[in-house]
Amino acid sequence: MDFKYSEEEERFRQELGEFLDKELTEEICRQNWEDKGVWEAGRDFCRKLGAKGWVGMSWPKEYGGGGRSITYDFILLEELGKRGSHYPLDVGLMVGNTILRHGSTDLKKEFIPRILKGEIEFCLGYTEPQAGSDLASLKMSALEDGDYYIINGQKTFNTECHYAEYHWLAARTDPGSTGYKGISLFIVDINSPGISITPMWTLSGERTNEVFYDNVRVPKRRLVGEKNKGFYYVLEAIDHERITVFYPELLEFTLNALIQYCKQARRDGHFLIEDPLVRDSLGKIAIEIEVAKAVTQRAKWMAGSHMETTYEPTMVKLVVSELAQRLANTGMEILGAYAPLAEDSKWAPLKGRIGWLYRSCLIALIGAGTSEIDRNVLALRGLALPKG
Amino acid sequence: MDLSFSESQQLLRKSARDFFHNECPKSLVREMEKDENGCPPNLWKKMADLGWMGLIVPEKYGGVGGDYLDFVILVEEMGRACLPAPFLSTALGAMFLLEEGTEEQKTRLLPRIASGENIFTLALNEVESQEDPGSIAVKATLKGDSYLINGIKLFVPFAHLADWLVCVARTAKRTSPEDGITLFLIDGKNPGINYVPLRTIAGDKQSEVIFNNVKVPKENILGQPHRGWPVAKNVLQKAAVAKAAELVGIAQQSLEMAVSYAKERVQFGRPIGSFQAIQHHCANMLIDVDGSKLMTYKAAWMLSEGLPCDIEVAAAKGYASEACRRVTALAQQVFGGIGVIVDHDMPLYYTRAKVAEVAFGDARYHREVVIGRKLEQKMPKSWLLS
Repeated sequence: MDFKYSEEEERFRQELGEFLDKELTEEICRQNWEDKGVWEAGRDFCRKLGAKGWVGMSWPKEYGGGGRSITYDFILLEELGKRGSHYPLDVGLMVGNTILRHGSTDLKKEFIPRILKGEIEFCLGYTEPQAGSDLASLKMSALEDGDYYIINGQKTFNTECHYAEYHWLAARTDPGSTGYKGISLFIVDINSPGISITPMWTLSGERTNEVFYDNVRVPKRRLVGEKNKGFYYVLEAIDHERITVFYPELLEFTLNALIQYCKQARRDGHFLIEDPLVRDSLGKIAIEIEVAKAVTQRAKWMAGSHMETTYEPTMVKLVVSELAQRLANTGMEILGAYAPLAEDSKWAPLKGRIGWLYRSCLIALIGAGTSEIDRNVLALRGLALPKG
Repeated sequence: MDLSFSESQQLLRKSARDFFHNECPKSLVREMEKDENGCPPNLWKKMADLGWMGLIVPEKYGGVGGDYLDFVILVEEMGRACLPAPFLSTALGAMFLLEEGTEEQKTRLLPRIASGENIFTLALNEVESQEDPGSIAVKATLKGDSYLINGIKLFVPFAHLADWLVCVARTAKRTSPEDGITLFLIDGKNPGINYVPLRTIAGDKQSEVIFNNVKVPKENILGQPHRGWPVAKNVLQKAAVAKAAELVGIAQQSLEMAVSYAKERVQFGRPIGSFQAIQHHCANMLIDVDGSKLMTYKAAWMLSEGLPCDIEVAAAKGYASEACRRVTALAQQVFGGIGVIVDHDMPLYYTRAKVAEVAFGDARYHREVVIGRKLEQKMPKSWLLS
């Protein structure tokens, strides 16, 4: 058993850290994390990272990747997380893995180098009004017409669509089918005629979208993998999402700031950090973050060793998202009357980010599998309990 | 990075599990709850013959020379088996000797630990002292070539069987509470010692140990006079992670029992494990078991490697303490009525979880350790604070 990173990996971490300390600004951190959209600063930052060869380090060299172990990709995410950021164009990284595994050579050549250079972003097109947790009941239809598919229907909660270039779209290609059979996966140019996008605003100010397809023509070469096998690819991509989007380092970033705040803020004659109840609740979150890191490390190690996972990535998502909510609740409790102050208000502590997390943490408990679906996965796949 | 166990570690786990399955049935565990000594001598002898008492003792002192991670695997299996034996307290004795014993002490005592001939225990807790060195009141006064020890130690495991006690006593009052603490090796049969058995809900054997002018020769000091606390702290870290491993074993076994019952037990015409209410109980148990396990292995690995790991150690014991309590409670719930009957195995685990939870620092204690360490750390610059 060995939890440590190799010397070479640590050297990369060091070099990367120095770069991030210089280049990663508050604006870049918040663009993606808060789903404000990734614009000039974030894109520029991604291009710089790409030029260094630090994006997709585990991807094959023939498409511009680094040809190294996936551990390097995780180090990038960890170091960004420690500084309060995701990789700004993270959906591209998520779907890139599936393109590499199942996409045609043409698709790989067309998309992988551009993802690596930080030139393009994708948005996920899974959920529909009637297909949430029961994703296999999706209805959006894609019918063959010569060299094209004609796509019609409606998607909802498709979060990055207002700034991404491509829609990673799940649609039903077998019109008579129901359930998970008969679903295919497409890469659709988001600017295609017939697509309209309308915003949906969340309680924490993030934008997500409804997307309507009205006779949208998509070339057949943009089908990912085999026709009617898309649902398997979606499940695989969601598993990857679970370990690349949910990471405990981001929570540690917020906890550390909260601790710093408690060292400086006085209430009723003492510093907050002198209050045993405050110390206890911060200590509890700190321990849970350590545990979340260990649980995450297992899933990363399994991914890096090409081991088959059953429930391990799901546990990462479940643990990290629920811990984010406990962190938010703990922070709000400690901040007391200051807690509800919005960022633009006088006296708002920590730029209102704890109050923001209190609202935004709800999204992670729903997206990429609700906590309840995740628990089903643990029970059915992790413990082999019988299906109801 | 490689989070798998080596072949020899897997073999150790398997042989331990098989051994306890055959040699430590629950009937024996229950019998030992009522037994005055609480540990079957035959079982102890067989464990010694397997080399387990000397697992962490170097070969030149008659041991096997395994590392701390091996030890943790074995302790986890003991938790699973509800082993009634002073294994951990004896191993802690070996750790104290290895940490700070003189060559003479090591040559004399370590082979006896490895052979199973000597039982050790740790006399640390007191009426008014759990983890804080400043509150240690058992006093050792130098008289000529010997110390006289007076006072009361509490919750000393298997003290009545111990050949040797490692006693943490105050020899001087200094400005720092950690200063002026000395470690003594005390002969368990010393006539000045009185043992009062303390009965617990798990039937494990703990004692109040009363020292009344117990004379201990100067040679029996472990390490330097007045400088015992840093040594104790090192060993207590290993003890905390070992307890966490015991909790992991308890939790893992409880989860497995509950899941297998949920697959068999039929209500409303179907196995109760097919109901989401039960599935989600089991999923919650799995999160706690895996979290405790991975954190414990990580801390054990760091201790094995000699890396700084105060936070990881505290996280392992702090988390496992509460997680195992939650797991055993949920397992009880899955078993329903049958689980609370005294002949059932669940009560053994439910009560042992509590005893292990409070040993070597409960969750609250370790949370304070973690926040204390975090406050000492230099925090990176953060845009949240700019």
